[in-house]
Amino acid sequence: MLPFSIEIRPGLPIAEQVLFAVKKAVVTGQMRPGDKFPSVRALSQELRINPNTAHKVVAQLVEEGVLVTTPAVGSVVAERALGDRRARAELLGPELERAIVEAKKLGLTAEDVQAAVAAHWRKLSDHTKP
Amino acid sequence: MNAIETTGLNCRFRQLEAVHSLDLTVPAGSVYALLGPNGAGKSTTIKMLMNLLRPTGGSARVLGVDSLQLSPAEFSRIGYVAETIDLPEWMTVGQFLNYCRPFYKKWDVELEKTLLQKFDLPPARKIKHLSRGMRMKTLLLSVLAYRPDLLVLDEPFSGLDPVVRDDFIRGVLEVSSLGNWTVFVSSHDIEEVERLADWVGLIDQGKLKLAEKLDSLQQRFRRIEVTRTNGNASSPKKPVHWLGWEEAGTLTRFIETQYKSGETEKLCADIFPGAAINAQPLPLREIYLSLARGDSQKPSSALR
Repeated sequence: MLPFSIEIRPGLPIAEQVLFAVKKAVVTGQMRPGDKFPSVRALSQELRINPNTAHKVVAQLVEEGVLVTTPAVGSVVAERALGDRRARAELLGPELERAIVEAKKLGLTAEDVQAAVAAHWRKLSDHTKP
Repeated sequence: MNAIETTGLNCRFRQLEAVHSLDLTVPAGSVYALLGPNGAGKSTTIKMLMNLLRPTGGSARVLGVDSLQLSPAEFSRIGYVAETIDLPEWMTVGQFLNYCRPFYKKWDVELEKTLLQKFDLPPARKIKHLSRGMRMKTLLLSVLAYRPDLLVLDEPFSGLDPVVRDDFIRGVLEVSSLGNWTVFVSSHDIEEVERLADWVGLIDQGKLKLAEKLDSLQQRFRRIEVTRTNGNASSPKKPVHWLGWEEAGTLTRFIETQYKSGETEKLCADIFPGAAINAQPLPLREIYLSLARGDSQKPSSALR
């Protein structure tokens, strides 16, 4: 079993989808620093994807500092993977883009959207308070 | 090096030109999917590559050797699963594997055992008593066990249920070792292909319409939706690389085949001043359909 959850959808490049799923798992704590990350082979077989794609995913995660590779051990989640808030905020990219497109269709301005986000944020925070 | 290379490959059956001047390049290490409707010339192409059919023109090189000169040395590096599953009906699965084994120096007995288990195949059962899916798996096992450098699969998924299909793909990936392992697969099953392939070739009426890396294909195709603020649906001058034009009310929808982030939006803004523009990526199935349809109305330059 893979240590992160993903459902591959047609349309978007597979590598992007897997990258996103892994980063999300790291941010949400599904995968913790030091956790072993599946090999290229395992990744390709479990997800039924091209091994070249799986290789690309791992290489990209290493480059972005999410994974560290140690010879003979394989890849593990890095100590300070996606630690800073900016890296985390970047994960919102696709969702934000969708929201902004919708907002533009509705003829809203950036201020309208910010106000709506703030209002929504408050609403949800109130719910989660004990 | 390229695993497969054809130049001006032709195949004519009397009046019918099944394959017309095909220039195909399959880079080593790729998973190359050949897509196309029934009767497009996919199987004919594969048969010529495997030297089962003599081309009436042009030539093909497979693993660096002219297809007409392919010898046992090359065939022991090629795994070919034909669309017609011809197996010795009277043998059991075990007997069939015993029969295949001595032909290949690289036959991996451990892998054979692993696959036999993974594929859930009964070694003692006669092949004539196997289902279609089991026959397909038996055949696949017999070509995977010697870890071929080039795997050629002709319509491997047709008629397989989802479980068998999954086993099949797992089996194929089982022998994958990065870099030198090439798969050439003809298929209708676009969803599977989208996961596995890194190259896509589109063939229709014996001609190669398109051959491109899957990522670049996904990069340049977008469904564009334009919502005009002013209601007049005047037909503007549209570039030739916009396909499948549809209009309803204030909404215009089409497929951009040359998408460049920013540039396309600017072009749209010039043509539709003040309109809201939305660009969505397309699944391979939609790309395939838009090309298949677009081609009947548009010049083929739109495909490039």
